[in-house]
Amino acid sequence: MSRSWTRSASALVGTATALAVLTACGGGDSKSDGAGKGTADKPVTITFWAWQKGSKDVVDAFNASHKNIRVKFEEIPSGNAGGYAKISNAVKAGNAPDLVTVEYPMLPEFVSQGSFQDISKYVTDDVKKQFLPQSIQQTTLGGKNWAIPFDAAPQAYFYRKDFFEKNRIEVPKTWDEFKAAAQKAKAADPKARIGTFFPDDPTTFEAMAWQAGAQWFKADGDTWKLNTADAATHKVADYWQGLIDDKLVQNAVSFSPEWTASLKDGSTVGYLGASWGAGVLKGTVPDQSGKWAVAPVPTWDGKPASGMLGGSTWAVTKGSTKTEAALEFAQWMSTTPEGIDARIKSGTSSAFPADVALRPTAKKAFDTSFYAGQDIYRLFDSAGSSINANWGWGPSMGTTNTTLKDQLGKVAGGSVKITDAIGAAHDATVTELKKRGLKVEG
Amino acid sequence: MRPGTTAADTGPHPDTAAARTAAAHTEGAPVTAARKASRTRRARGRATGAAAGVLLTPFFVLFTAVTVVPIGYALWLSLFTEKQSGLGFGGATSVFSGLDNYTAALGDRAFREGFWVLAGYCVVYIPLMVAGALALALLLDSTLARARRFFQLALFLPHAVPGIIAALVWVYLYTPGLSPVVKAMNSGGIGFDFFSSGGTLPSVVNIALWEWLGYNMVIFYAALQAIDRSVLEAATMDGAGEWRTAFGIKLPLIRASLVMVSLFTVIGSLQLFTEPLILNQGGSSTVTSTWTPNMYAYTAAFSRNDYGLAAASAVLLALAAALLSFVVTRLTNRKGAKA
Repeated sequence: MSRSWTRSASALVGTATALAVLTACGGGDSKSDGAGKGTADKPVTITFWAWQKGSKDVVDAFNASHKNIRVKFEEIPSGNAGGYAKISNAVKAGNAPDLVTVEYPMLPEFVSQGSFQDISKYVTDDVKKQFLPQSIQQTTLGGKNWAIPFDAAPQAYFYRKDFFEKNRIEVPKTWDEFKAAAQKAKAADPKARIGTFFPDDPTTFEAMAWQAGAQWFKADGDTWKLNTADAATHKVADYWQGLIDDKLVQNAVSFSPEWTASLKDGSTVGYLGASWGAGVLKGTVPDQSGKWAVAPVPTWDGKPASGMLGGSTWAVTKGSTKTEAALEFAQWMSTTPEGIDARIKSGTSSAFPADVALRPTAKKAFDTSFYAGQDIYRLFDSAGSSINANWGWGPSMGTTNTTLKDQLGKVAGGSVKITDAIGAAHDATVTELKKRGLKVEG
Repeated sequence: MRPGTTAADTGPHPDTAAARTAAAHTEGAPVTAARKASRTRRARGRATGAAAGVLLTPFFVLFTAVTVVPIGYALWLSLFTEKQSGLGFGGATSVFSGLDNYTAALGDRAFREGFWVLAGYCVVYIPLMVAGALALALLLDSTLARARRFFQLALFLPHAVPGIIAALVWVYLYTPGLSPVVKAMNSGGIGFDFFSSGGTLPSVVNIALWEWLGYNMVIFYAALQAIDRSVLEAATMDGAGEWRTAFGIKLPLIRASLVMVSLFTVIGSLQLFTEPLILNQGGSSTVTSTWTPNMYAYTAAFSRNDYGLAAASAVLLALAAALLSFVVTRLTNRKGAKA
């Protein structure tokens, strides 16, 4: 999970930089007289916690161009590596920063803890229409808006073009073809695997269930309806169980030294990730530049479909008295070319902005030589519009994903099947929701 | 523990010495002198009391602030649950829930399994640790040992490495495809996966042994060095060899350190946390986030945002540790009484 955050983070970074090149809807200096927004004489200072690469550069760029607001930036560990714990502790202790980053899957958890402010009145229709509708939908909970989206994270398949061409393997368009390609690759080189099962990363699996049309969490009135035993989830679980049992995929913790080593020695020649993965992969194996390519993620019926894997937002914490200033900065990061540009120029990010108009900026700023000049942003664009709009995250993803992660870890050893792992996560979630006094069915 | 005992032992000495001096001075006039002595003693008692008060205050202030209050707060927290309404997006209110958190923790299989993992860990780790440290200390203390200072330092050195760093280094040494050790083992025909479900426990025990063996060895060695050499000489004169001296004389004489090391090792084992946590985050997906009770409490607080459950499970673990310490102390005391 945490790794996916990091990935999305860097993706975001990339997008941000690209966008900055353009001149677009700006930082809003003109509206600096509103309450809590500060003026040039009396600037408001806000604090901001994030782990996304390039955040420091974005903050510096903002501070250089704005006189009414000073942003104090503090880098925190990525979500699962302790960042979320730090945020929730700070909120509990009453010394939280004004603005923090949170990824889509964890947003409902924080909102249900009462950690963030309802920002509905600031997220007007004009604001909403700038963003990919799915990203607004993911940040709208109980009819209210809780965060400003930063990036979207459609799935993508990264593969070693040289390996596929040398062994005459077709790039898979469907999951059936993916399995066939995995067998072919293994036959060509007994060590080669065209993908990895990440036992530590439930969000990768969830993105695939999402893509297949599953809908684990549904709000019906004030009741949560859990459905993890649907046909789509079963299909995905059985499919991956088969790949693992037949040893057609690597089994390694995502972005672990072990996984990186397997990329370096050429035994992992494919990676099922998301848009932000382009930048992360580039940073992980820079010496394989030009050998990688990106394809749409395989689908079940050959028609474009995608889940979302990670993706970041900005949220204002409960105790902050500087909501407007924090939101102005958040919107500047998400919706201005300057904000996007500052971010992408700082690192190896391939962020795919949730703000649709800024994608050309991101595209322009991203150096595609690692992918031999392939127009990866065009691919993300079509993948982004194919994101299944049905999926929503539950209010206790901390519990759900921790349990799922613990159980998926045992799958490779054979003591647990993927369907059992999902069952355990389901039960833990039901118990947790009941413990919180919520109504739950399923 | 031992410093405490020593303080208690030496405590009375100055007084006795003072009394003796007083007695020596007053030989000529017993009655007045005795009265005077008792008066001085009383005065000195008051002074000592005041001094003790002054010296102990900082301790009790800190003890209250960093031990008593947090324990009280944990107990308090463990009695509350966050309740929400509707879909849960309206924020949470803290509600008194009695012992619900305790029953929730005890009813959670993951929590109970944590204790089984701990039991397995203790069964493997504690005997290895105590026996290993003792064997090394006895070797160093034997007349056969060479380069004592060097080995003492070399064996102690791993303990100077912070636990987190040690765990990180070991994760590297365990990682297939990266570790020279795994590579060497593979080429030698020993294929062992340190991250597999069966390899997890040995992996953690190994890290803990590496970290703590030298430390406990030093405690044993210091105790051995404190043994009156004339006793050992007498044993040699009576014809006892190295083995006989070690097991018949030295071991019984350092029983106090043995008890202490065992106790600390038991308590330390129950708190097992850092090493498995790093393994969990560093590549071993078979170490779950609730692998030990301590990790369960951590995950409850920081991944699940359930502070009440975290507090309750921490209190339960503390109770288990207290109980086990009590058992260890009782057992060793009884043995001592018999001997």
